[in-house]
Amino acid sequence: MGFASLNPSYESNDMQNKFRGVMQSPVTPLKDDFSLDLPTFERLLDFHVRSGAPAISWPHHKGESLNLTIDERKLFAEAAVKTVAGRVPVTIHVSALAVEDTMALARHAQDIGADGILAITPYFWTPTLEAIEAYFVRLCTSIDLPVLSYNSPSYLAGVEITGELMAHLIEKLPNFVGVKEASFNSEKFLEISRAALKLRPNFAMLTGVEFLLPSVPLGGVGSYSAAGSICPNLCTELFDSCVAGEWGRARELQFKMTRLWHLFKDQYPSSLKGGMVIMGRAVGPTRAPLPTATPERQAYIRSQLEDLGILESEPYGW
Amino acid sequence: MTFEPGLVHTPLTPLASDRRIDFDRYGRAIEFHLRHGAQSLAVPMHVGESVSLADTEKRQLITFAVEAAAKRAPVIAHVSDAGTGIAVALARHAQAAGAAAVIATTPYYWTPPPAMILEHFSQIAAAVEIPFFVLNAPDDMAGIKINADLAMKLVGKLPNFAGVVDASLDWQFMIELLTEAARVRPDFKLIAGTELMVSAGAIGATGMFSALASVAPKLVRQLFDLCRQQKLFEARVAQEEIAALRQIVKPGGIAALKAAARAMGRDYGNPRPPLLPLVAAAEKRLLAELETLPVLAAEPRGW
Repeated sequence: MGFASLNPSYESNDMQNKFRGVMQSPVTPLKDDFSLDLPTFERLLDFHVRSGAPAISWPHHKGESLNLTIDERKLFAEAAVKTVAGRVPVTIHVSALAVEDTMALARHAQDIGADGILAITPYFWTPTLEAIEAYFVRLCTSIDLPVLSYNSPSYLAGVEITGELMAHLIEKLPNFVGVKEASFNSEKFLEISRAALKLRPNFAMLTGVEFLLPSVPLGGVGSYSAAGSICPNLCTELFDSCVAGEWGRARELQFKMTRLWHLFKDQYPSSLKGGMVIMGRAVGPTRAPLPTATPERQAYIRSQLEDLGILESEPYGW
Repeated sequence: MTFEPGLVHTPLTPLASDRRIDFDRYGRAIEFHLRHGAQSLAVPMHVGESVSLADTEKRQLITFAVEAAAKRAPVIAHVSDAGTGIAVALARHAQAAGAAAVIATTPYYWTPPPAMILEHFSQIAAAVEIPFFVLNAPDDMAGIKINADLAMKLVGKLPNFAGVVDASLDWQFMIELLTEAARVRPDFKLIAGTELMVSAGAIGATGMFSALASVAPKLVRQLFDLCRQQKLFEARVAQEEIAALRQIVKPGGIAALKAAARAMGRDYGNPRPPLLPLVAAAEKRLLAELETLPVLAAEPRGW
C-alpha cells in the first residue's frame, strides 16, 4: 500500500515542515575497544534534544555510518527512537554501500517507528540519472515514511540529483519530501529549489553543515548540523537570525560557524569527537580508517574554541 | 584606493560578417549598457570573447571603451593571458588608457599549481597602480580555482589587490575568503561573478558582474539593487527569474547569448571561431524557451 493512500492529508504543512531548523545528527559514541557505547549514545541524544535540536537524524557520515555494520545501525536506530521518545522527529540515515542494505534499513526504520529516512545517491557506481531515479522510486515505494534525499556531488564524483530529476521524483512520489543539498553552490541549490518548490511548496530544502546564510534567502528551511555537539546555542542563534532576516547578525554568526567547520572538517568526524572531549562530552575514539584525535590535536582544538569564545557561550558537560 | 565597482556589465563584442570588431556597434552597446543600469563596465571578459581577440584588438577595445564611457562609468580591463609577460603588458596599456582597474584569471592552459598562480598575479598587479581583481572562474578554467589561502598570500603581497570576482558560486570559499581577508584588509571586495547574487550578497558581496545584462538589464538591476539593500527574501523572485534565463542560455554559451540579444533587437553578429553560431534548430528552441519567460516583456528592445 502506498503512502498517499494511508495519509490523504500528506501534503499538509505540518507533515513536511517538521524537517526544519538546525537538525542534529549525533556522532556515534564508541568504547576504547571501538565497540558501540550505548549509555553514552543515550546521553548524547538527550543532550541534543535538551539543547534545542528541532529533529534528530542518525547515523550520518559524521556518525561513521559506513564504518558500522548493518546490525549495529539497526541497534542504535532503535535506541535513538526509544530515547528521543517522540520529543522531536527522528530520521534514520539509510545510505549504505549495498542498495539492498539501504532497503533493509529503510524497512527497519519504519518498523521501529522512525519519523522518516534520509538517503544519499548510491555510492561508488556513478549511477546515471535513470539509475538514481529508479533507486529513489524503489526506496520511496517500499515504505510509507517520508523520505529525504541527500545530494552531495563533491563527495560522490559529481553524481547528483538535477533539478529535472528532482521534479520527476516529486511528481511520482508523495512521500518524497525534501533534500539535504550539500553542494554548497548557489547555482545547484537554486536549480533544485526552483524545480522542487514549484511542485511541492513544502518540500524541505535543507543544506549540509550549517550553511544557512546563503541558503535561507533562496528558500532553505534548515540544515543538518556539523558542530551541534559543540555549539548548540550558536546553531539556534544562527538559524533564528537567518529566518528573521537579520543579515548582519547572521553573517557574523555564519562566519564564526564556518571557522568551526574548517576546524572540524579536517578528518571529520575525528576532530569533532576530539572537540567534544574539550566540551566535557567525551564520546570515545573514531573507527579506522578514520584516525582518532591525538592529545596535540585536542589541544589545538581547545585553543581555537577558546579563541572563538565557544567555551563561554556553550554548555559544558551533559 | 577603495574602488566600489557596483553593478558591472560585461558587454558582448559585436562582430561584423568578416569577423572584425564592429566598433560602431560597440559604441552603441556601451551606450545601451550605460543607459540600462551599468555602474561599471568590464571589457573584454570571456563573454566578450577576450580569448579570441588578438592582443592589438584587446588594446584597441579597452581604449575605445574608456573613451566611449567618457568618465560616466569606470572601465575594468580584463587582461588574462597564458603568458605572464603578455598579461603584464596589457595591464600597463589598460592603466595608460585610463582603465579604473584590471582583472585577471589564472593563466590559460598550463594547469598552474598555486605557486605559479601566485607569481602570475603578483607580476600583473605589480605592473600597475590601479586596483587589481582576481577572477575565480573554475568552470571556465578546467577546474583551476583560487582558494582562500592563495588569496591571503596575494593580500599580504600586493597593496592594490582589491578583491575577488567569484564565479565558483562556492559558499565555503566565499565565506572563508571574507572571514580572512576582511581581518587584514577591511575594504577587500567580494564581487559576484555571475547574476546568482542572493547567496553571495548574504555572505557579503558588494558588486556583481553581469553578462545577462545584454539580454535583461532591468531584471539584473532590480536583483542587484535588492541585494545591495539586503532585501534578500524580496530578491528571491528576481533571482529565480534570472536563474531561469541563465539556465536557458548557458548550454549554448556565447552563441546563445548573442542569439538571445538578437532576439531583443540587438545584433552582435556571430561568435568568432572556434565558437560556432547556434544551428537553426537550436536557435529556434532557444527563442521558444525565451518566450516562456514573461519577465522579458518588460525589457528594452533594440539599442
